[in-house]
Amino acid sequence: MSNETNKQVQQAAQEPLLEVKDLSVQFTTDKGHPITAVSDSSFTVYPGQWVAIVGESGSGKSTSAMAVLGLLPGTGKVVGGSIKLHGEELVGKSSKDYEKIRGVQMGLVPQDPMSNLNPVWRIGTQVKEALKANNMDVSREKRSSLSKALSDAEVKLKTRDDELFIGSQERPELLAAAKAALQKAGVASVDEKMATFEETWVTGSQTRWLVAQDLIKAGVPDDDAWAVAKAHVTGSNMDDRIAGLLAEAGLPDAATRARQYPHEFSGGMRQRALIAIGLASRPDLLIADEPTSALDVTVQKKILDHLHTLTDSLGTAVLFITHDLGLAAERAQHLVVMYQGRVVESGPSLEVLQHPQHPYTKRLVNAAPSLASQRIISAKERGVDAESLMEHHTKGEETLEHSEHIITVDHLTKEFKLPRKREMFKAVDDVSFSVKRGTTLAIVGESGSGKSTVANMVLHLLDPTSGKVTFEGRDISTFKSKDLLAFRRRVQPVFQNPYGSLDPMYSIYRSIEEPLRIHGIGDRKSRVKRVRELLDMVELPESVMGRYPNELSGGQRQRIAIARAMALNPDVIIADEAVSALDVLVQDEVLRLLNDLQAESGLSYLFITHDLAVVRQIADEVVVMQHGRLVEHATTDEVFDHPKRQYTKDLLDAIPGGKLQLGLDS
Amino acid sequence: MGKYLLRRILQMIPVVIGTTLLIYALVFALPGDPVAAMFGDKPVNAAVAAQIRSEYNLDKPFIIQYLIFLKNALTLDFGNTFAGQPVIAVIGRAFPVTIKLAIMAFVFEAVFGVVFGIISGLKKGKWYDSVILIVSLLLISVPTFVTGFVLQYFLGVKWGLLPVTAGSNPGFIDLLMPASVLGSVSMAYIIRLTRTEVSSNISEDYVRTARAKGMSNKSVTLRHVLRNSMIPVVTYLGADIGALMGGAMITERIFNINGIGNTLYQGIIRGEGTLVVSIVTILVLVFVVCNLVVDMFYAVLDPRIRYV
Repeated sequence: MSNETNKQVQQAAQEPLLEVKDLSVQFTTDKGHPITAVSDSSFTVYPGQWVAIVGESGSGKSTSAMAVLGLLPGTGKVVGGSIKLHGEELVGKSSKDYEKIRGVQMGLVPQDPMSNLNPVWRIGTQVKEALKANNMDVSREKRSSLSKALSDAEVKLKTRDDELFIGSQERPELLAAAKAALQKAGVASVDEKMATFEETWVTGSQTRWLVAQDLIKAGVPDDDAWAVAKAHVTGSNMDDRIAGLLAEAGLPDAATRARQYPHEFSGGMRQRALIAIGLASRPDLLIADEPTSALDVTVQKKILDHLHTLTDSLGTAVLFITHDLGLAAERAQHLVVMYQGRVVESGPSLEVLQHPQHPYTKRLVNAAPSLASQRIISAKERGVDAESLMEHHTKGEETLEHSEHIITVDHLTKEFKLPRKREMFKAVDDVSFSVKRGTTLAIVGESGSGKSTVANMVLHLLDPTSGKVTFEGRDISTFKSKDLLAFRRRVQPVFQNPYGSLDPMYSIYRSIEEPLRIHGIGDRKSRVKRVRELLDMVELPESVMGRYPNELSGGQRQRIAIARAMALNPDVIIADEAVSALDVLVQDEVLRLLNDLQAESGLSYLFITHDLAVVRQIADEVVVMQHGRLVEHATTDEVFDHPKRQYTKDLLDAIPGGKLQLGLDS
Repeated sequence: MGKYLLRRILQMIPVVIGTTLLIYALVFALPGDPVAAMFGDKPVNAAVAAQIRSEYNLDKPFIIQYLIFLKNALTLDFGNTFAGQPVIAVIGRAFPVTIKLAIMAFVFEAVFGVVFGIISGLKKGKWYDSVILIVSLLLISVPTFVTGFVLQYFLGVKWGLLPVTAGSNPGFIDLLMPASVLGSVSMAYIIRLTRTEVSSNISEDYVRTARAKGMSNKSVTLRHVLRNSMIPVVTYLGADIGALMGGAMITERIFNINGIGNTLYQGIIRGEGTLVVSIVTILVLVFVVCNLVVDMFYAVLDPRIRYV
């Protein structure tokens, strides 16, 4: 870097881009009572820096971010403190003034890709809105001076025209001219270089000076390179620019994709479109509010990697909101931990992770599944010393070897008929495994891998196309009325969504008591007693009996769902993403509970999840599924330590923070 | 799309047959002898009566009568009324009046319903929102004939602002009051539907995303709130065209308009099976076609819906 740009970078680095000081945000309830969501919180973002705000839901992290954007929902109001962007106070700005700041200076990548795109407008149109709202010049790049300095100091920009984009009409001519120039200069391996150009010279995204630079690097003399670039890079139109933005965000075949509607996109693709929208007007600050929490781990990694490279090359600072400490530590240089509306800790990522000061941060570090590397030890064994811990391990292996198979899945296949397609869709393709009594088997895979379909077939809720499921040696498809009822009693499900799996009109007591009543177990009095026992088992107070699901938190509801599953003393619990919707700390509690229950009553678990980090904590054996097929099947340790298949390795790599080293003080 | 359209058109056949059969059976089951009714208080000559019966096929079993009706209806020959006029001519006279009335009512309910609904939905909790809500609730709970008579009394009789009844060949001014009465209930529903849609869409995530893009409040409201809110409203409006034609019966009685509703009413009173069934058949067709058009329109409005 030249001295001049160096100075520029340093100067910019000294002045914070975003400075939030003693921010307080209040909401008003229907009855007019104020509720404080954020109080006295301060954090700072420097240009080009990634800062992560970590905390559980309700900790005020999203509210803080929305306060910065001036987009607080409902009755939300900033009641104190200051928010400064580029040294300019944002608190108290009129909504008209805020409109001018949003988009150009601050962009947003929201949380849920499913609900954040308007279903009735084409993707391209929604990108176009972002460009039009800020009067962006679509024919040329608008990079901040810092990004210019960061991107490459070797190239001196001569005029503004050097930032013109490649247009789709001129692109074929440009490629032809480039080829001619390469041949004229007598460069070796022309085809190879042309292939790289084909790939990197994206319409509406690559600029004149970058093209010239590429040619010079490839060996074309300076003057020739600039001549080619000047002749054939003359700016893009709106459609080119939209395609360019989408391509930058990692969307393949962007020009075609831009004409599609959101429902024709997968979650990952939608999130890429939202990234393109957030960065469309080249903001200095991008607020990424849990941008990938709704996505599969592998997709999550790809998208965050991409976002990282993109924001780095543009010099965009990112305020990254997440509940995942591992993810935050991996991505951001600076961590801000929020708890109950307050910033409890902030500092450089590794510092916070390795020497957490606040008790909450300590708990968070301990509980983060992505950082844990051990199977949870049951409560009984937690009490005793390290020696018996070793014993647990060996005992565990023994149980695995010797115990009988309680559920066996044999060459299971399930086909579905797709509308408008002649061939059948194989959701599950020849899958075999067995669950041993008293152990946990986890099925891992991305969404669409067929893992839930397997669960539904094991539960006898779905009939397999071929193959069979045996329970204690008997084919479950032969079960008729009485046997089926008995089977239902002994194999219980716990589903993903604790909000949807409890009837909102049933009191907690009635929800837990229902299976007992259906199976005609005990009289009224003994059932009340049993419900009390069950609540005690899941560590909930008796007082929740008379309450309704909407009065409980997500974690509490999932405990109720577990209590209900446990009501009939089942032998097997099939947990379909049972902890995926929960916060880390709650997730940790539920996992520990499940583990303790297993140790006490010898339960077997079939655990379906997309989260390998959770698997490590709970499972003895792992089955990895992809596209309906079984990819790998081994003990948990083996899978984690010596994964055999590339897909499993990818999944393991995708665990956020998996490679971070922890040195806990506590 | 073409395949879907064809299937929908084929589906109309059983619907039309089913409804006409039902109506035919109901009219057939009406107490009283239509031939006797034709003669009023005068004694009926048995031979003349028998001739009339055979002329109108009244001596044949019910199902044969129906099949004859159906066969003739295919050639648009609906037979004659008891008074000797061709049914098709009677309908041809009455229909344009009802269409005029229905269109006016439709425009009335669409314009005022959507406008008040949007105002109410955007400014939830303001005093005018409450006023709009209360008025719409009133319109929904009070039957049309009450609204009709009240307006007739005040606007027509007491203040003399608008004609009390419409007369034989009504113009725009004559139909103004009947049309607003006819459209009032639907307008109230549209107000409420629009209000709910607007106020729920305004807190959608994509609206926030649009604001985060830096779009102005005006374009966010237009492009993201209103555009999406109109989907169910337009669907409701489309389906309502058919309902307006049917609902015209009461309004036409009150304001003495010689439209399809009034003719239908006369037919029922006189037990004229052919006239009643013919009118109902046409109303059923209007209804079914409107529904089809609405479904097609729905796909245009909401890209998520594709018919196969």
